Amino acid sequence: MAEITNTGTKVFARARPEESDRAIKLFFIAPAVIYLLLLSVFPFIYSVYLSLYDAKLTRMDRKWFVGFENYERLLSDPLFLKAMQNTVVLTVSSIILEVIFGFLCAKVFLSLREMRTGQVLRSIAILPMMITPICVGLMFSYILNPTLGIMNYLLSGVGIEGPSWFGNPTFALPTVIFINAWQWTPFMMLLMLAGLVSIPDSLYEAAELENAKWYHIARYIELPAIRDVILIGIILRVIDNLKLFDLVYVTTRGGPGDSTELLTFFAYRQDFRFFQVGYGSAAAVIILLISIVVTTVAVAYLRKVQK
Amino acid sequence: MTKSVRWQLVAAVVITFVFVAPILWMVLAAFKTINDIYAIPPVWVPDFTYLDNFKLLLSENWPFLLNSTIVTLSATALCLAFALPCAFGLVYFQFGAKNFLADWILSTRMMPPIAAAVPLYMVFNGAGMLDTMPALIIAYAGFNLPFAVWVAMSFFRNIPKEIIEAARIEGCGWFQTFRIVALPLAKSGIATVATFVFIFAWNELLLALFLTTREAKTFPVVISSFSTVTKTYWELISAATIIQILPPVIFTILMQRHIVSGLTMGAVKN
Repeated sequence: MAEITNTGTKVFARARPEESDRAIKLFFIAPAVIYLLLLSVFPFIYSVYLSLYDAKLTRMDRKWFVGFENYERLLSDPLFLKAMQNTVVLTVSSIILEVIFGFLCAKVFLSLREMRTGQVLRSIAILPMMITPICVGLMFSYILNPTLGIMNYLLSGVGIEGPSWFGNPTFALPTVIFINAWQWTPFMMLLMLAGLVSIPDSLYEAAELENAKWYHIARYIELPAIRDVILIGIILRVIDNLKLFDLVYVTTRGGPGDSTELLTFFAYRQDFRFFQVGYGSAAAVIILLISIVVTTVAVAYLRKVQK
Repeated sequence: MTKSVRWQLVAAVVITFVFVAPILWMVLAAFKTINDIYAIPPVWVPDFTYLDNFKLLLSENWPFLLNSTIVTLSATALCLAFALPCAFGLVYFQFGAKNFLADWILSTRMMPPIAAAVPLYMVFNGAGMLDTMPALIIAYAGFNLPFAVWVAMSFFRNIPKEIIEAARIEGCGWFQTFRIVALPLAKSGIATVATFVFIFAWNELLLALFLTTREAKTFPVVISSFSTVTKTYWELISAATIIQILPPVIFTILMQRHIVSGLTMGAVKN
């Protein structure tokens, strides 16, 4: 309101009583806020409450207060600890792969960005990232299937006997990691391209005059230009990987054994397979706590960058 | 063409192949008979006039494709109806808690849905809404609300402040300013937000898995049920995959300029 008055014009809106102005503003903002409170904040709080009870989804009228017992049990449950470990391994290694391959791909497409062919190839290469995750999982189940899959057929052509990619405990998690990285490398590539195009050609020319090696260029010219976008990408990928569910649901279902058990999948199974909602909620709350820590960093950072 | 450019081009072709080949291989399978799908050595090029897999798939499962479409479109509409006024207000109104509110909305986007699963299940169960489309619509609209608000804000911010001020001076109330001035000016931005919400809802599996059982199942739930412990129906999976990924693929090709800024919620622009 103050800005409008500053223009020096006599303002009609000024005559409006403050009260109704506030009501109108509330009418714009409040519905969405209430929606979010009811749909996400309330359920989150209720999950915390449930996690302190011994409760079964099929008999919710009878539940017993057990305090932090569910959490104590979780922290000594080998399956949960394995899920925690797998989630960390999956998150860290797929992000490393995405950053490395994303950077290499970005460099290639950067040098071809003026060329029509390069642009067309780039827009095809980014197809994986928006595709339905369960379809990605099933595509690779088909390709990596030990009996009918094309991957092991091609490998046998060069004399290698391919393993059962999802059925072998040694290979299952790395396979899931590679699929995850396959889907999200194009995202990192696009992010880094957005950063790399901002580097003026004159910097590269100067580096060439100085006889700089490629790693000098990468370290002193390119890395500073893409540091922010890489960090944004990593934050968003950490948050998404904590929620990862669809991919393991259609490929390994956590197996073989516990080799691809992930946090979200663990909580889902406790809740809706074994109906142990107290226990499952405790697991969900732990995921929530990790997310809150990551999110706090993320929000502060995204706000800073948007400025 | 210099030698280095030629190598770059070769590299680009290889990269593109790596990211597209798995998709293409599944697409080819949809046109193969069951015998050809299982054939080793593989049948490389199928007969594209063979459409039995699609017929078999859709004859039984078209209601679920319809469910997916209805749920996704309604959720997108509901989500925008709540998100747009809120985003407008967060950009143009002056009040103390503004930044806090915007940050809080963004942070709810990052929360894991699994932590809301059991309470949502209980609420919808209590309301007799389990396995109904409205339950899914409400859930999807809600989980995409933070994203929609945040990205719509970045589009409203692009409207020159002077235009909004001029409208106010002319005597437009906030409703009129929003409807007659802001919405038309942010039209293409709103289309971007809408398509993103559409794709997110279209791809969703976890919530649909426990909120639906028979009647209201969405297409992803049906597809995931084609892979069972005892048997995997590759002929159905491949045909269903083509249908399921068609919207995201079209979206990626048409809107690639907006993908980066969308997925980073406006933090990175290209």
